[in-house]
Amino acid sequence: MSTTETDGGGSYGGSPFDQMDAETARHPQPSYKLMRDLMPVTRMEGLGVLLAKRADIDEAFRRPELFSSAMDAVALQNVRPLIPLQIDPPDHKKYRKILDPLFAPKQVKPLEEPVTRLVNDLIDGFGDATEIDFSQQFSVPFPSQVFLTLLGLPLDDLPEFLKMKDGIIRPDHVVGKPRDDEETVAYQRGIAQSIYDYFDRVLDEREVERRDDLLSRFLDTEVDGERLTRHEILDVCFLFLIAGLDTVSASLDCFFGYLAEHPEQRRQLVDDPSIIPAVVEELLRWETPVIGVARVATADTEVGGCPIHKGDHVMAILGSANTDEAEFDDADVVRFDREANRHLAFGGGVHRCLGSHLARLELRVALREWHARLPEYAVKPGVELDYTPGIRSLDTFPMVLG
Amino acid sequence: VKVHVDMEKCQGHGRCYDLAPDVFGADDEGYAELLVTGDVPAELEQQARAAEANCPERAITLT
Repeated sequence: MSTTETDGGGSYGGSPFDQMDAETARHPQPSYKLMRDLMPVTRMEGLGVLLAKRADIDEAFRRPELFSSAMDAVALQNVRPLIPLQIDPPDHKKYRKILDPLFAPKQVKPLEEPVTRLVNDLIDGFGDATEIDFSQQFSVPFPSQVFLTLLGLPLDDLPEFLKMKDGIIRPDHVVGKPRDDEETVAYQRGIAQSIYDYFDRVLDEREVERRDDLLSRFLDTEVDGERLTRHEILDVCFLFLIAGLDTVSASLDCFFGYLAEHPEQRRQLVDDPSIIPAVVEELLRWETPVIGVARVATADTEVGGCPIHKGDHVMAILGSANTDEAEFDDADVVRFDREANRHLAFGGGVHRCLGSHLARLELRVALREWHARLPEYAVKPGVELDYTPGIRSLDTFPMVLG
Repeated sequence: VKVHVDMEKCQGHGRCYDLAPDVFGADDEGYAELLVTGDVPAELEQQARAAEANCPERAITLT
């Protein structure tokens, strides 16, 4: 599985979901139910142990010393662990203490205005078109532009950015060869180096002249009297690139895919935009754009009667936790008036998604601005949406407007 | 009713201060801060219950 968790990235390497068929990727919920009913904790050869029950996943998230997030660094060709995702407690705490305040609601709130503008600029870009590619024209550029804005980078860097993002997350798509093919790996390694180089260059500039942006703040932040080293800042930036862009794109693809196919529910939010925060939470629960997150066992243990050995990879299937009938009433019904929604779409425990407050802002603003201007839309007739497994995004989403 | 937040469990999801802004605030790092001391006023009880029912870490209890 690929995972983007939580602090950010997760293991984007090969995954059980790479083999997911198109229908399962489109509607994974029935497969989750089968897992919970028939094999709630199951070992899959070469993949590790999959956890499907909410209770078991809670347990794993609460014991980071046993279910470590310090994954081997090679899957993304990053040369050092990603910060803070691939760092375990107690060191993890030090980095979150630096990063949490930068992504706390107080810091995120002022972004509402520029984010609103970015959404409207993208919609303006559709012109009078009655058919668009939602993915290419909206869900892909939007989070990347927010990210560039946040880091104080020029929007002109967007193409370079998208190249780095895609090259690192799905080099197999770009190269057209399997993920473990020599050529794919070499390409991905080159992209990884270009990511370090890109941020290194920008940080050199900020060393000379600070600006009002996140990168400048990284240079000056101190914890216990210590500043972050250049390597540490680069390791944070690398994670941001893989964690902060694709996940929001995927969420938008899932949300708009759902709303396009459920016009009556769409009209509920068009008629009453005040329900948008609840819509975001319910669609995060139901769709769970990031299907799961990876851990590795640090000692022999056992979950639900299934032995887990030291070194085993353990995959928490968030999508299954979020549709577990032991946790949710009407678990298989999408309800915007749900009173209790303890979903784990942003993971849980110490690695809870660092960017969750920013992601929520982006998703709410996108739904609000879009539906105020474009309340009527549908998937282009004859098209079946093909979600990529792991992170449920769409390469193409032909949409008719009006 | 009284509200209790287990700060060992709180991971800063922020559902409580989003749903119950008169009962919970956010500290500088985005973790929960209880705004009421002692009993929750009757008019805020519904907010407090919403926060309890939506905390992904089950860090909030009402007694």
